[in-house]
Amino acid sequence: MGSINHVSGLEKIVGIIRKTKSTLGILFQNGKSATGFIILVSISIFAIAGLFFAPYNPDAYMFRRSLPPNSVNILGTTGYGQDVFSQLFAGAAPTLFIGFSVGILGTLISVFVGVLSGFASKRVNDLINSIVNIFLVVPGVLLIMLFGTYFLGLKENLGYVPTILILIITGWAFGARTFRSVTLSVSKRDYILSSVLIGESKVSIIFRQIIKAIMPVIVSNFFFTAMYGVMGLTFVEYLGVGNLSQVNWGTMLYWAINDEAYLTGQWWWILPPSLMISALMFSFILLNFGLDEIANPSLRIYNKKNRKAKNVTDTQN
Amino acid sequence: MKIPVRYIINKIFLFIVVLFGAITLNFVLPRLIPGNPAETIYQDVVKASGGAVNPVYLKQLEAEYGLSHAPLYVQYLTYLSDLFHGNLGVSITYYPVPVSTILAQALPWTLFLVITSISISFFIGNRMGRYGGINRNTWKDLTVDIFSMFMASFPAFVMAFIILDIFAVNGKLFPLGGAYSSSINAGFTIPFIISVIYHAFLPVLTIVLTSLGGWTLGMRNNIIPNLNSDFINYSENLGMKSYQIKSIAYRNAILPNLTGFSMSIGLSMSGVIIEESIFSYPGVGMYMITAIDNLDYPLMQGIFLMVIIAVLVGNFIVDLLYGFLDPRIRQESG
Repeated sequence: MGSINHVSGLEKIVGIIRKTKSTLGILFQNGKSATGFIILVSISIFAIAGLFFAPYNPDAYMFRRSLPPNSVNILGTTGYGQDVFSQLFAGAAPTLFIGFSVGILGTLISVFVGVLSGFASKRVNDLINSIVNIFLVVPGVLLIMLFGTYFLGLKENLGYVPTILILIITGWAFGARTFRSVTLSVSKRDYILSSVLIGESKVSIIFRQIIKAIMPVIVSNFFFTAMYGVMGLTFVEYLGVGNLSQVNWGTMLYWAINDEAYLTGQWWWILPPSLMISALMFSFILLNFGLDEIANPSLRIYNKKNRKAKNVTDTQN
Repeated sequence: MKIPVRYIINKIFLFIVVLFGAITLNFVLPRLIPGNPAETIYQDVVKASGGAVNPVYLKQLEAEYGLSHAPLYVQYLTYLSDLFHGNLGVSITYYPVPVSTILAQALPWTLFLVITSISISFFIGNRMGRYGGINRNTWKDLTVDIFSMFMASFPAFVMAFIILDIFAVNGKLFPLGGAYSSSINAGFTIPFIISVIYHAFLPVLTIVLTSLGGWTLGMRNNIIPNLNSDFINYSENLGMKSYQIKSIAYRNAILPNLTGFSMSIGLSMSGVIIEESIFSYPGVGMYMITAIDNLDYPLMQGIFLMVIIAVLVGNFIVDLLYGFLDPRIRQESG
């Protein structure tokens, strides 16, 4: 018995690889999540490469202004004389970083709030519910504007911290509502009830069972919140309340619009960041929807395999 | 028809709580920041003029913002009573026009845009989602899905600029801004209404295009479990016609999508605020951007409050409608 419990380092690694393989397997069960995953991985590789291999300094005004795409500047230059491709390349990592930070932190908050309210007394539940409702009802752009102007009023360079904070503040509530209803439905299941009757503590039930049961929803919500993070970043930057000295896809759009690139026909400046943002959000949406379909069987009964199986039973009858 | 009394009372209670929360948030936010907006502006003015500013100006600014050094609860009560009397302060950008006057001009246009665009995108989006769901797992479904996802993921304001450029700047088919042609007198006359529609066309088109995706995907995911359910199978086997089955599934699926309607009022409001500044449409969004550029805190807070009240009232109406439409809620209070 003792020897079985002694798992060698190698076996552990093999186990981890197997586990990730099976997680990826789940992602690839569904065409949508598979496509989303492939796009996201490609953009991530692009972003990591961009940290090291940007052809020119993305900040430097080293070229003639507003050049259309040519052999030196693959995507042309900005109205201020920077290389568009270098900006796109180097701006990918911060954009992804913000999306992921907002996704992870926002999801953590909403899981905490949602699970808590699913388990709390009625009064606490009502209180949490109304707070969540306030954040759901208030238009996000307004909060972004208000918080953003106040952060600007601080006149301190805090990097991306204010942007991420603003996006988390405006983006956590939707997930919290989802987790609340999911927790309520899961906590009514028999096996949770029996754990309660056995005398297992609430904390242990939440961490050992509830979180496990709602894991697919958590992952799907992560992608949703990350998508909000990327979209929100473009709004924060567009409204000029973000950190405009940094290069990311949001600030690229801000400067392009500020320089009226759309009026002067400099599409090589405004379209690449838009399309990259679009692709990134597209991958998040695909992952979110694909995982929903995996987690929610009633959405996927009618795929081809099942239909075939159904026909077989039909003919047998 | 039974009236779901308990449900309505609950909703009224929620309305009051959320409104109060928003009003309080509006009060707290400026006070969370070290220093105060008046000081920030005062410092800027001092810097700009090289120090030749009378310190009384700071006191004046503070008075305009309704900032005092009284204890917080006194400030809060003054703020509430001012609100109650419709006193939202004076705008800095448009000094000395009261914020309430600006809002009275701007809010109707914003509401007009929001209501029109939500209704249109709700209708088209649900229809598209229905089409996708009925043809699930075919290339038709895939086309609808990909189109909706792309529309939902493309940055909304870039879309607005592209549309503005194509149709107004280069195409010259639509006006560049405004809510109606200045040569026409305002009033309920046919030329005026035509002019209003003509000016609202591009903003509405943009908002509809960018908010369509949510409805479509929501509808698709609501209708598929319905189409897969046993009662539909049963009706199918009984020989019910296909269009009847589709309409039943559609009606069942539209109810949960209606909950999304109340959420989307806030979202559309966000969209409208952005689009208005791009299309120079004289709604609250345009003033909001001006207010931010000029650090016009009274105007910002006034707009914030009005928009929230508008969204809350919209939500409240949708919730009431929902209470009447959903038989489960209607019966609950019996």
